[in-house]
Amino acid sequence: MISCLLELFLAYEEDPNVKLVILKGKGRAFCAGGDVAAVVRDIRGDDWRAGANFFLKEFTLNYLMATYSKPQVSILNGIVMGGGAGASVHGRFRVATENSVFAMPETALGLFPDVGASYFLSRLPGFFGEYVGLTGSRLDGAEMLACGLATHFVPSTKLAMLEAALCIVDSSDPVIISSIIDQYCEQPSLKEQSVYNRLDVIDRSFSQKTVEEIISALEREVVHKMDVWISTTIQTLKKASPTSLKISLRSIREGRLQGVGQCLVREYRMVCHVMRGEVSKDFLEGCRAILLDKDKNPKWEPSKLEIVTDSRVDRYFSKMNTEEWEDLKLPTRSKHNLPVYAIAKL
Amino acid sequence: MDRAFQRTQILTNHLLQSSPSSPAQIPSLSSNACLNYSPPELSEGYAFDIKEMRQLLDGHHVADRDWLFGVMVQSKLFNPRVRGGKVFVSPDYNQSMEQQREMTWKRIVYLLERGVFKGWLTEKGEEAEMRRFAYFEVLGLFDHSIAIKLGVHYFLWGGAIQFFGTKHHHDKWLRDTENYLIKGCFAMTELGHGSNVRGIETVTTYDSNTGEFVINTSCESAQKYWIGGAANHATHTIVFSQLNINGTNQGVHAFIAQIRDAVGNVCPNIRIADCGHKIGLNGVDNGRIWFDNVRVPRENLLNSVADVSADGKYLSSIKDPDQRFAAFLAPLTAGRVNIAVSAVYQSKVGLAIAIRYALTRRAFSVKPNEPEVLLLDYPSHQRRLVPLLAKTYAMSFAANYLKMLYVKRTPQSNKTIHVFSSSFKAIFTWNNMQILQECREACGGQGLKTENRVGHLKGEHDVQSTFEGDNNILMQQVSKALFAEYVAAQKKNRAFQGLGLEHMNKPCPVIPSQLTSATLRCSQFQMDALCLRERDLLKRFVVDVSQHQAKGESKEHAFIMSYQLAEDLSRAFSDRAIFQKFVEAEATLAAGPLKDVLGMLRSLYALIYIEDVAFFRYGYLSVDNAAAVRREITKVCSELRPHALALVSSFGIPDAFLSPIAFNWIDANSWSSVQH
Repeated sequence: MISCLLELFLAYEEDPNVKLVILKGKGRAFCAGGDVAAVVRDIRGDDWRAGANFFLKEFTLNYLMATYSKPQVSILNGIVMGGGAGASVHGRFRVATENSVFAMPETALGLFPDVGASYFLSRLPGFFGEYVGLTGSRLDGAEMLACGLATHFVPSTKLAMLEAALCIVDSSDPVIISSIIDQYCEQPSLKEQSVYNRLDVIDRSFSQKTVEEIISALEREVVHKMDVWISTTIQTLKKASPTSLKISLRSIREGRLQGVGQCLVREYRMVCHVMRGEVSKDFLEGCRAILLDKDKNPKWEPSKLEIVTDSRVDRYFSKMNTEEWEDLKLPTRSKHNLPVYAIAKL
Repeated sequence: MDRAFQRTQILTNHLLQSSPSSPAQIPSLSSNACLNYSPPELSEGYAFDIKEMRQLLDGHHVADRDWLFGVMVQSKLFNPRVRGGKVFVSPDYNQSMEQQREMTWKRIVYLLERGVFKGWLTEKGEEAEMRRFAYFEVLGLFDHSIAIKLGVHYFLWGGAIQFFGTKHHHDKWLRDTENYLIKGCFAMTELGHGSNVRGIETVTTYDSNTGEFVINTSCESAQKYWIGGAANHATHTIVFSQLNINGTNQGVHAFIAQIRDAVGNVCPNIRIADCGHKIGLNGVDNGRIWFDNVRVPRENLLNSVADVSADGKYLSSIKDPDQRFAAFLAPLTAGRVNIAVSAVYQSKVGLAIAIRYALTRRAFSVKPNEPEVLLLDYPSHQRRLVPLLAKTYAMSFAANYLKMLYVKRTPQSNKTIHVFSSSFKAIFTWNNMQILQECREACGGQGLKTENRVGHLKGEHDVQSTFEGDNNILMQQVSKALFAEYVAAQKKNRAFQGLGLEHMNKPCPVIPSQLTSATLRCSQFQMDALCLRERDLLKRFVVDVSQHQAKGESKEHAFIMSYQLAEDLSRAFSDRAIFQKFVEAEATLAAGPLKDVLGMLRSLYALIYIEDVAFFRYGYLSVDNAAAVRREITKVCSELRPHALALVSSFGIPDAFLSPIAFNWIDANSWSSVQH
């Protein structure tokens, strides 16, 4: 599907008859993410490069979407996770509904939030991005709108009308398109228990420099008083792959200060190391425990945060020293008249 | 008649809106294509790894710096605003003085809660000190006021406790200082005395009946002035004062005094006034303090170098008052190091903005109907900005050396640290003001907008040339130190050692009469030229001073009269020392594009100093040689032009800490942005 989308997006950019691109899913998901099982099969078959090749194409698509010269409207009426986020959040408009469920669940799998998540998560308010990326927490439509992952919220009953209105638009002007979506928009309210109401705790803890300090900060919060949500968050972090947590944190922190292209180049290096498994095989183990055998009891190696040294983490961020490997080469965007919001991401 | 007919035809065509009979006669109006913003990233490539270059420039703690950038950028307290689709953080300088001071304090509280200052006074060791430097450099990139306010509290007040105080002071004050349970300031400067600390007029006596020191502002010129933090917030201060024990003036000493209580009321016998609005740094509440026979307990004397017994006897292990004073002030070098390094980072901001702007702004076409030329494509614009890049890179390497020298300090290296910190503080801060001015001009009118930062930085950092030691005084200290080295080497008939003066032991370098391009690019020639100037000026200075002394003048008076040679010498020393650090940094690199580009910058740095007037004045270069140098400079600038973006990207300053004109300045000024 990634190859198909890439082809289509490239073609649409050159086609003057295409003014905007609308992306939507079928059934209960917009897109639940990449076919992780297939990648695992490749790795097991000693072919990590096939997996890496998938990511190469996917990240190229992500970059194209982020810097696209025409507006993309993604209708997120359902699950949008992992690769699904990558195929939508980089676009100009993201329409959430009451059915939206967003998550970047990679740290539970031994991977890390990729698809340019180090770019878009790091730009969420405060340290919400670290929270979402490290815990794999699920967000609903109201929360997506509140933090900026979604640009609009439209109740699912109005989606058909919205689509019809968008289909007759004869302009690529984001202001016009935004005002059309505005006509079907509603202002949802956050649940009382919404994690977005806990930003003060999130900012205090997830701003800490290391994963260990984040967990300590959360533990300090519950020393004198109970808090189910904080305790759950601590448990979630303690169950995730220690290596994943550390590389994810560093990825988000670096991504905060980089353009989307640099983020994707860096993530490509990281994902290649994950595929190759020479530093840690947590990805295989995570997929086994969560997706294949489903015992939900992964045995991470290294098993503890303290054993994941800085030099181990460094390796994920360095070039691969295998033959024929190259850094991700992203398409040049200079020939196209990029809109302001795309230029700003470079 | 023809003309009238033609005009009637045109008017008829307008009214009838019919197409003209002969298109050639009536040219149609066509609109000019609008200027489009094209980001430099799309047209300029990176010939070398900018991450590697950044590691070389920053030298240490890159990840920690990025963490602190992130902590600031993600908080509303740091005034994030969106311009041209990007977020920028910078204080709102349009706020009143009081509001700016309030915001500075709020930001400090926030950073304190985030743990930024953890260990700043209680953690020992080189790594902790270097990390502190790194955080300080990052904070300075946001705003000078916050850096000064923190510097006063941690480095001046806190540093005084650490270095002038003894164990009981450390135990009592350091932790509370680190956690901001008290707010410190540093009362040294007076209305009548700044650079000449030994002349201050505050007087302290000892009352052996009560075991108290009595601190008094004896006259109006003795009022403490420019005391950062004193006007609004500070609760405690270090007071510098002459100490009179039993009718003998024992010289300048430091005492702790409380000036405000916990709720913020000024203590009895203390008067505080505001220094008022400044040309910059209005986020710092500078105050004036009068002490009206303020009594402090005996243990408030910071007694690492001297003490007073309970019954009022003065005690010191250092008998010579000059030596005692020097030992006393030696620890304050940290401030000088901080300021020197901070100046380099401000230059980086100015250049990153000016060069990025020059890569997107066009002016004038060479031929009609051609697109206008990019600013940085003009040789004259290159000549203005690229040498400043070379200077900034050179200063960066020298700054890292200075920091290392400081954190690895020993009693033996004290003198070396003093000379280099004086030299580099003066040179870097003067360079910074020159660089910021040029960058402001290179941005034209846009450089006048406060939110574009580059112009505003001038007013904010102007103070650097006169505080923590007036630059001219500092450079005089450098020349005096060199004089002393020369005289000592001669007297004891030994080789020159230290301060990089070893080149004096070798035969005098010779400048070739023909200067080819290859020679001019050669680091050995460049070093020879700079060493030749330094060596010759040192000799001339010593001779000049000796001649004055031979006439019966004192050494001090001779120094005063030989000030011009002293100035030229201290600059020659500084240029050579900084160049040496550049060469050393370049030498650590493996062959490749990074080393090549750095080599070009290094040559440019050397050549712009060799083009300096001193080389003419003292006859080291012929007129033809000077012309060759001039031509080579233009050549190197054009060779560096393709690397301009990579060179400023390597500074590692996040986009949010630059300004709108470094990015999409057209959209930043769009009507739609006015409406939102």
